[in-house]
Amino acid sequence: MRIADIAAFAAVREAGLAKLLPSRPRIAVGMGTCGSGNGAEAVYHAFKSAIDRHGLDVQLAPVGCFGFCAEEPLVNVWAPGRPLLMLRRVQPHHTDAILDAIGHGGLPPAETILGKIEAWDHLTGHIKYGSGYPDVPLWSDVPFFHGQVKIVLRNCGLVNPDDIEEYIAVGGYQALYKVLIDQNPAAVIEQVKAAKLRGRGGAGFLTGNKWEFLAKAPGPDKYLVCNADEGDPGAYMNRNEIESDPHSLLEGMLIAGFVTGARRGIVYVRAEYPLAVMRLEQAIDQAREYGVLGDNVLGRGFAFDIDLVEGAGAFVCGEETALIESLEGKSGRPRTRPPFPAQRGLFGRPTNINNVETWYNVAPIVSKGPAWFTETGSPKSAGTKVFSLVGKVQNTGLVEMPLGTPLSTFIYDIGGGGTSGRDIKAVQTGGPSGGCIPADMFDTPVDYETLAQLGSIMGSGGMVVMDADNCMVDVARYFIEFTHAESCGKCVPCRVGLDKALRMLNRFTQGVATQDDIPLLDELCRMVRDTSLCGLGQSAPNPVLTSLRHFRHEFEDHIVAKRCRAGVCQDLALSPCENSCPLHMNIPRFLQLYNEGRLEDAFLSVVMDNPLPASTGRVCQHPCDNRCRRAGIDEPVNMRDVHRLIADEILLSDRFDAVVERVRERRLEPTGREVAIVGAGPTGLACAYYLALFGHSVVVYDSRPAAGGMLRYALPEYRLPKAALDREIELIERMGVRFQFNVDVGNDISLNDLAHQHDAVFLAIGTWKEGWVYLPGTELTGVIPALPFLEAVARNDEVPVGSKVVVIGGGNAAIDSARTARRLGAEVTVVYRRERRDMPAIPEEIEAAEHEGVRVAYLAAPHRIVGDKSGQVRALEAVRTKPGEFDASGRRKPVPTDEVIRIECDTVILAVGEKVDPDFCRASGLTLNEDGTMVVDRYSLETSRERFYAGGDLITGASNVSNAMGYGKKAARNIDKRLMGQKRFAQLLPEFVYSMEPPESPAEVGRHTPPEAPAAQRVQSYQEVSLGLTPVAALEETSRCLRCDIRSSER
Amino acid sequence: MTEKVKVRIDGEVISATAGQTILEVARANNKYIPALCYMEGLTSVGACRLCMVEVSGVAKLVPACTTPVQEGQAVATTSPQLDSYRKIALELLFAERNHVCAVCVSSGHCELQTLAQEHGVTHVRYPYSCPRLPVDTTHPRYVLDHNRCVLCGRCVRTCAEIEGAHVWDVAGRGITSHLVSELQRPWGEATSCTSCGKCVQACPTGAMAEKGWGVEEMTKHRTVVSRLTSMREGS
Repeated sequence: MRIADIAAFAAVREAGLAKLLPSRPRIAVGMGTCGSGNGAEAVYHAFKSAIDRHGLDVQLAPVGCFGFCAEEPLVNVWAPGRPLLMLRRVQPHHTDAILDAIGHGGLPPAETILGKIEAWDHLTGHIKYGSGYPDVPLWSDVPFFHGQVKIVLRNCGLVNPDDIEEYIAVGGYQALYKVLIDQNPAAVIEQVKAAKLRGRGGAGFLTGNKWEFLAKAPGPDKYLVCNADEGDPGAYMNRNEIESDPHSLLEGMLIAGFVTGARRGIVYVRAEYPLAVMRLEQAIDQAREYGVLGDNVLGRGFAFDIDLVEGAGAFVCGEETALIESLEGKSGRPRTRPPFPAQRGLFGRPTNINNVETWYNVAPIVSKGPAWFTETGSPKSAGTKVFSLVGKVQNTGLVEMPLGTPLSTFIYDIGGGGTSGRDIKAVQTGGPSGGCIPADMFDTPVDYETLAQLGSIMGSGGMVVMDADNCMVDVARYFIEFTHAESCGKCVPCRVGLDKALRMLNRFTQGVATQDDIPLLDELCRMVRDTSLCGLGQSAPNPVLTSLRHFRHEFEDHIVAKRCRAGVCQDLALSPCENSCPLHMNIPRFLQLYNEGRLEDAFLSVVMDNPLPASTGRVCQHPCDNRCRRAGIDEPVNMRDVHRLIADEILLSDRFDAVVERVRERRLEPTGREVAIVGAGPTGLACAYYLALFGHSVVVYDSRPAAGGMLRYALPEYRLPKAALDREIELIERMGVRFQFNVDVGNDISLNDLAHQHDAVFLAIGTWKEGWVYLPGTELTGVIPALPFLEAVARNDEVPVGSKVVVIGGGNAAIDSARTARRLGAEVTVVYRRERRDMPAIPEEIEAAEHEGVRVAYLAAPHRIVGDKSGQVRALEAVRTKPGEFDASGRRKPVPTDEVIRIECDTVILAVGEKVDPDFCRASGLTLNEDGTMVVDRYSLETSRERFYAGGDLITGASNVSNAMGYGKKAARNIDKRLMGQKRFAQLLPEFVYSMEPPESPAEVGRHTPPEAPAAQRVQSYQEVSLGLTPVAALEETSRCLRCDIRSSER
Repeated sequence: MTEKVKVRIDGEVISATAGQTILEVARANNKYIPALCYMEGLTSVGACRLCMVEVSGVAKLVPACTTPVQEGQAVATTSPQLDSYRKIALELLFAERNHVCAVCVSSGHCELQTLAQEHGVTHVRYPYSCPRLPVDTTHPRYVLDHNRCVLCGRCVRTCAEIEGAHVWDVAGRGITSHLVSELQRPWGEATSCTSCGKCVQACPTGAMAEKGWGVEEMTKHRTVVSRLTSMREGS
C-alpha cells in the first residue's frame, strides 16, 4: 500500500494500531540477537504451537529487545484493557501457564514477572495499555529500569521491527511528514542545533552544525551515511537499536536528507550483525513499498533512497574517512583531514556521517521540539545516551540514561553492584579507545567533557565493570592487543607504536619488565596519542594511559613484587589458590604429596610455607576457596581442612620430633646478625621463624606471658584449641627463636635500645585497642569491649557477664564474643546495622553461631543503651534500618526508619573494630597514617626509620591471621635481603619430587566438609566445634584438585 | 587560487599562496621540517608523522604535509616535544624491521639513516621485532628487500600517479602491512611493470635498489619524480 496522502497515512496507522492493541490478547517475544541467543526462538515456537494446538485467539509477534540482557528471554503479554506485562527468563515450559493466565485474566507464573507498563510514551505517539495487576510493580520501579529515560530506545522491545505499520501506529514517520509539509529545511536544522544534539559515535560533534555544512555545500550530489560499523568489544547498542526499531533510523536519515538536500543515504552495517542487516533490508523494502522511500516520499515530491552496505569487519572502518574509502571499494584506511567529508567525502562529494544512535534522536526532536530535548541531560550534553552495561555487575543490559548521570548510578543502582557481593574496582568506558575509571571516582557524571578529563571517552557507550579479579595491566594489554591488530598500518605511530606498546605490556604481564619501562611506555603512548593519523591511533593508548594514571601501583606490583593480585597474569602465579594465599603456599604441592601418601613430606611442604599450619588450618578466611577453579565444576577443593589435617597428624603425634629435625636441617649457616621482633602474634612469629631459618639470631618481645597474640588471647578455644598452637610455637622455638615475655617495649625497653642492640627491628604489635562507639549509655556497668572480654575468658579469669547479652558488631570478634557468651550460659543477641551478606565475619561462623542459639538482629542500628538507677545496663534500643543507596564500599547504606526495637539485657559487648595502640605508635616517632597505622614502603615494609620494619595489623589495621603472617614472611625475606645483600629465600626450600601429571578427568567426588560437634552439646563446653576431616576424606579431597600448577610443556 | 596569505613559521613572517601546505611553504623558504613519506610531485598522505608541527590556536599537532596554510597562522617546526616524538617515530621504524646499515646498499645515501643522524638516534629503546622477511630478486634489474621497507608508500604513489601502472600496493594491516606487486605476484612476473625504475629512485631507503651495487654504492636520483611532475604541469 503506497502512502500518497494523509488519508492513506491515517489508514496505515489504524491498521498498525489494530495489531499493537488488538481486540484479543497479544504476546510479543523479544527476539533480538540477545534474546535469540538465550532461547527466545524456542519460546516463540512453543507459544506458536500451543496457540495452534488449542486454537486460541491470541496474537503472537516478534519484537526487539527491551534491554534487560541479564533476564533474557523477555516476553511481553497484553490482554485488552490490562497493562502490558513484562516477563523475564521465559522458558518454553512456561507457555501454557502464561497463555492460561492471560486467557482468564490472571497472572503468569510469579518467577517470570518483571513489571508492568500501563501506558507508554513513544514520544512520537502515545499508547495506553490499560490498568490492573495491583501487585505487579511498574516497570520504572524495577531497579534496573529506575531512572532510565527511553528516547532512543522508545520503540525497542514494544513494536514489531518487521512491520512498518506498527511503527507508523506509534507515530512513526509523522515527524518526516511534518517536515515535508512545512517545507522549511533551515528551521529543522535550527531545531537540531538548538537541541544541542551531539554525535553519539563518541566524538560528540554538534549534529546540527554538521548538517548545516552539508546543506550549504553546493551541488545536488551529496551523501548521508549512517555509521553502523559498531565494533567495540562489549558494545552492542547499535545492533540492538537496528534490530528492534529499524524504521526510526530510516526516518532520521529521511529528515536529514530533506533538510540538507541529499538524495542518497547509505547505511554501513558490519556484516557480523546478520539479524540487523536482515531487519534493515526488510525495513527498507517495506518503506519503498509504502512510498516512504523512493522518488516521491509520502506523496510530497521529495526523492530519497537508502542503500545498505555491509562492512567486511575492519574495526578501523568505524573511522569516518576509512569508512568512506571502504564504501568506495578501497581497503579501509583513513585519509587525512582536511579535506573534511563535508567538503570532499564519498566519491569526492560532500558527505555527512552520523552514528546510528544520533539518527534515532532526530524524529523526537522534530516532533517534540528542542526545548523538550534539552530538559534531559546536562547543560553541554543534552539528551540521553544508551550504554551497554556489562562485566562484573549483577544486572547487565542496555541502559538509556540522561547524559550527566553519575557512574555510581549505573553501577550500583541499575547494575545492582558487584556479582556475588564482590567489590568493584573500576569501570572501563568507551571500549578500546576509552579508559578505566577507578571506583573512588564513581561520582563522575557521564558526559563528553568529564570523561575526557579523566583520560577516558564516552565513545559509543560501552561500560565494562571490573572487580578485584581483573588485572588492570592485563586489561590495558588486552585493549592494545585489540587495537594493534585492528590498526590499518598506514601511519607509523599506530602501526609500530602499538606493536611496541604491546610487546612492552607483555613484558609486564610476564614479570620481566623493569622500573624504566613505566616512563618509556608512558612516553610512547603519549606519542602515539598525539601524532597518529586517525581516531583509532589517537585514542588507542587511552587504556594504558588511564591505567598508568589511576592504577600505577598494579604496574609496580608486576615489576617489583612480580605479583598479579588479580591472579590473571599466569606467568606471575603458580595457581589461582597460591596467588590468592597471603602466604603464597604451594597448595597443589602439599595436596599431591598427601595424595601420594607422603604425610611427612606434605607436612614439610606446608610448614616451609606456613609455620602455623594447624592454626591457619582452622581460622584462615580461606581466600583460596574463592579462587579455586574446581568451583566451576562443583565446589572448591577444601584446601584449608586438608592442611589442618596434615598439621594435626604431625604436630599432635610422636612423629613431631623427627619432622622438626627435618625442618632444622633447612636452616642456613649462622650469620651472626641479630634481629629484634616486637610482638609474638602471628606476624611476629612468622617473621621470627623465617629469620631463624636464614641463620639470624632472633629475639621476640611480647608484653603478654605467652606467644600467639590474638590466636591465643582473642580466638576462643572452641575454634582454636591451644594445644595445637603450643606445638606450633614449640617448633618455631626449636628453630632457635628466643622469646622475652612480659616485656613492654616502649616502657621496659626503648626502641632506641633495640636499635642499638640489633641489626634490624621488626614491629608487629597488632591492633589491640578496642574501638569505641559514641552511644548514650556506654558508661554504664555491664558495657564491655570484646577483646578484653575474649582475653579474660582465654586466661580463665573472672568474667563479668550476665544472663542476657547483646553484642554490637558484625565482624569475627562479634561472633566470637557471642558464641563465647553463649558458652558462659547467656542468652545472646547480635545487633548489626546492615544485612547478613554485608557482615565481615566468616559466613560459616555466623551459621554456627545461629545453630548454637545466638540470635542476630540484622538491619538494627544501636541507638542507646538504657540503664537503671544504679547505673546497670537494662536494655539496648536500636533503630530498625532499611537498605538504602550504595556507598563507596559497594554495600547498601543502612537508612534509619521510625521503628525502634528494644532488647532487654544486662551486658552489652562492643565489637565494633580493633585499632592500633596510638600511644605506642606516637612514642615510636615513626611516620603514621591518619588512621594511626604505620607508614611502610609498600614492597620492602621498611618504616620511615632505617632498619625498622613493620607488618601485620599494625600497618593494615585489623585484618586476619593469614594476611598478618603474609606480612611477617615478606618482612623476613626483605630483612634478610637487606642484611645479607642477596635474595636467599629459595635456598631455604627443599626440593620435592612429586607427580606433575594433571588428572585426565576431574575426580567425581564432591567437596568434603568436616563434621561439627552437635550444637546442643558443644555450647556446654569449649570443645572444638569443627572435628576436622578424616584421613580418608582428606585423601579424596586431594584427588579433587585440578592441578592448575601444571603448565603444558609447549608453553 | 592565487590568493596570498601571510604565515609565521618559527617566528619569521612568510608570504604564501593559499592552498599550499605548511610543508611546501616551509621548504620553499628554507625552513626545515623532517619528512619521510612526503615527496615533491606526489600527493601527500600524512603517514610517517615526522612532519608534525605545532600551530598556534590548535590543540593538536598537525601534519605539515597535508595541512594548508591559513592567514595569520603561527607554526613552530621544532619544540622539545616534537623532537622527542620524531625521535620515537624514527626509533620505531628501526625497531620494526631489519635495518642493518652496515650491510645495506643505501648506507650513506639513505633518508632514514640521515634523519636518525639529524635527530641524534644513537640507540633504540624499544624491543626489536626482528621479523623474517623475504627479499624479492625476481626482477631482472631491481631488487625489493622488505627488511629495509618503511612503508612510506612513495613507490606506490610514484607508480600509480606518475607511471600510471599501479604495480605496487600495500597489503595486510597493522604491523603485518607489506608491499605487494600486482596482486601478490613476484615483481619479476608482474606484467603491468614497465621496468621504468622510478619506484626505485623514489624509495628513501635500501628497500628498492638496482641490482649490481654493493654496500653504500646505491645512490638515487630523488628529483626524477618532481622533475617529471613539473614538466607535465608545464606542458
